[in-house]
Amino acid sequence: MSVGILVGKQNHDGGWPYVRGGSWTEPTVYAVLALLSAGETEPAGRGLKWLVRAQRRDGGWPPRYGVDQSTWVTGLVALLSPEQLGVEAHGHALAWLLRAVGRESTVLYRLREWLLGVSRPPEQEHPGWPWIPGTSGWVGPTAIAMLALEQAYRRRRAEPVQRRLDSGRQFLLTRICKEGGWNYGSARPLGYDSNPYPETTGMALAALRGVRTPAVEQAMGTALRFLGECRSADGLNWLEIGLAAQGRLPDGYQRPAGVEPRTLPETAMAMIASAPGHGRGLLWGSRNAT
Amino acid sequence: MQPSFTRREWLATAAGGALLTGCAEPQPLVPSRVSIVRAPAYDQTLYDTVGRIFVEHRLAVRGRRVVIKPNLVEFEPEGAINTHPLLVHAALEGLRALGAASVTIAEGPGHRRNTLDLAEAAGFFRTIPRFEDLFVDLNLDDVSRVRPPRSFSRLSQLFLPHTVLGADLLVSLPKMKTHHWVGATLAMKNLFGVVPGGVYGWPKNLLHWSGIHECIVDLHSLFPRQFALVDGIVGMEGNGPIQGTPKHVGVLVAGSDPVAVDATCCRIMQIDPFHLAYLKLAAGVNAHLTEHNIVQTGEAVAAVTTPFELPPDLREIRLENA
Repeated sequence: MSVGILVGKQNHDGGWPYVRGGSWTEPTVYAVLALLSAGETEPAGRGLKWLVRAQRRDGGWPPRYGVDQSTWVTGLVALLSPEQLGVEAHGHALAWLLRAVGRESTVLYRLREWLLGVSRPPEQEHPGWPWIPGTSGWVGPTAIAMLALEQAYRRRRAEPVQRRLDSGRQFLLTRICKEGGWNYGSARPLGYDSNPYPETTGMALAALRGVRTPAVEQAMGTALRFLGECRSADGLNWLEIGLAAQGRLPDGYQRPAGVEPRTLPETAMAMIASAPGHGRGLLWGSRNAT
Repeated sequence: MQPSFTRREWLATAAGGALLTGCAEPQPLVPSRVSIVRAPAYDQTLYDTVGRIFVEHRLAVRGRRVVIKPNLVEFEPEGAINTHPLLVHAALEGLRALGAASVTIAEGPGHRRNTLDLAEAAGFFRTIPRFEDLFVDLNLDDVSRVRPPRSFSRLSQLFLPHTVLGADLLVSLPKMKTHHWVGATLAMKNLFGVVPGGVYGWPKNLLHWSGIHECIVDLHSLFPRQFALVDGIVGMEGNGPIQGTPKHVGVLVAGSDPVAVDATCCRIMQIDPFHLAYLKLAAGVNAHLTEHNIVQTGEAVAAVTTPFELPPDLREIRLENA
């Protein structure tokens, strides 16, 4: 059923829209990942060609054709393997990811803050990834970039990759909300506690696969609570993937009836999340890795 | 990929520029009309109230494409964060009654990606028949590049959704709320929701780094054909726009000039409009911030004034301290 939806929504240029209209990078990556896992190589292949054509000279990807800037979607594209994307193209994508940092972590910004006598909050100690260059690091793009870099690290252990993974983990660990789980950004913006969200909590748990601290344990409790309450396909997709990555998805878990995907990424991610392994094969290259 | 403007992008920019020539220069002081109308509750009387507001302001929408832009922010059922769905439905019906060729409801929330789920939790599916068919998620819509006619911010260009660029009239339906960064979020700030998350992310952090107040004014200048209808029935005070406290005011504030509408809302909330940086900036190209340049109809400001609690570090914007 979902395969039919994905194939039916593919644009003539090989890419996919979010809902309708022109092709975007994000839905195209998710559709390609889901179709490859379902063995639908022909539409996935056309999607891959769309992605290869869209790569920019700096090694990154724009959110869609016509937008002249590489963004966080580069991390998503790098979830595809070098064999699928092309070794050179994949290598450039990783290089772009290794260069990308939130603006608050740049030397220039830190120098400015130091000259102004502004003390650096602990959560700005460790660089994360921004949605677009020149802006702050956020939980969502950081989690996606870490998933891509972890895949790369499993293929080849490289010190720069390990360093960014370590800092990414710290970035996420310093942003755990007081009640457990993750908001999209700071845990305490402007001095007020922020509330955790299901989707970002699931993403961060996926990116922190294997990390065990009391705060992560508390976050998993929050994720399990969300799993029972959440009525959003996007939220449930990421909760399922994140909890499965941590080995904490309840045995025999079934989604509540009536929660339907509303966008193409949600449809594709639901396929990935509900497949055996709950995305582990696609996101970490191993169905059994925990 | 080469950075280049498509013909469509050039046309969008040129058309916007032509329409906005007047916004780039100080305007002659033709007073703006702003109406304050009592609306004690979210009930069926809203339909008649909103219809009368549209007639009073002579909204010429017959045969036009209209986009309603509510403020959808968080998963919250019919409370103080999001524009109430009954008001959105009343606006939809009112615009249809005036003969609009099409009325689309469109929004691009800044924090949450699952917009339709958010709309469902906020009561939009229950209240508005065929809501999903009428709605466009502006975060995921097709986009074209435009350039602000006179850039106050560090933005030299911006990608914006086709749905709003193609509208003959943008009807902005914000919530009357305090905002912990900019003081108050009303009609002008509501336009942050037209910036596509699909290009800029969630949140649209580029706007913060480019100068939040300046970006508000840039966005405002890109949409000269607006009508603002502020949901001040239940607003939010304190740590708005999300974590504040509901505040009953019982009014709708409306007009074709968002600067004048926002200034009026500020006075109702007992916030000094001249202390909001974006309103001051806008006042440089639109002098409708002062009361003598606003034609006030309906209730007097003094009759509905309801002081809003402000975040501790923004208390200097209180009108009584001005």
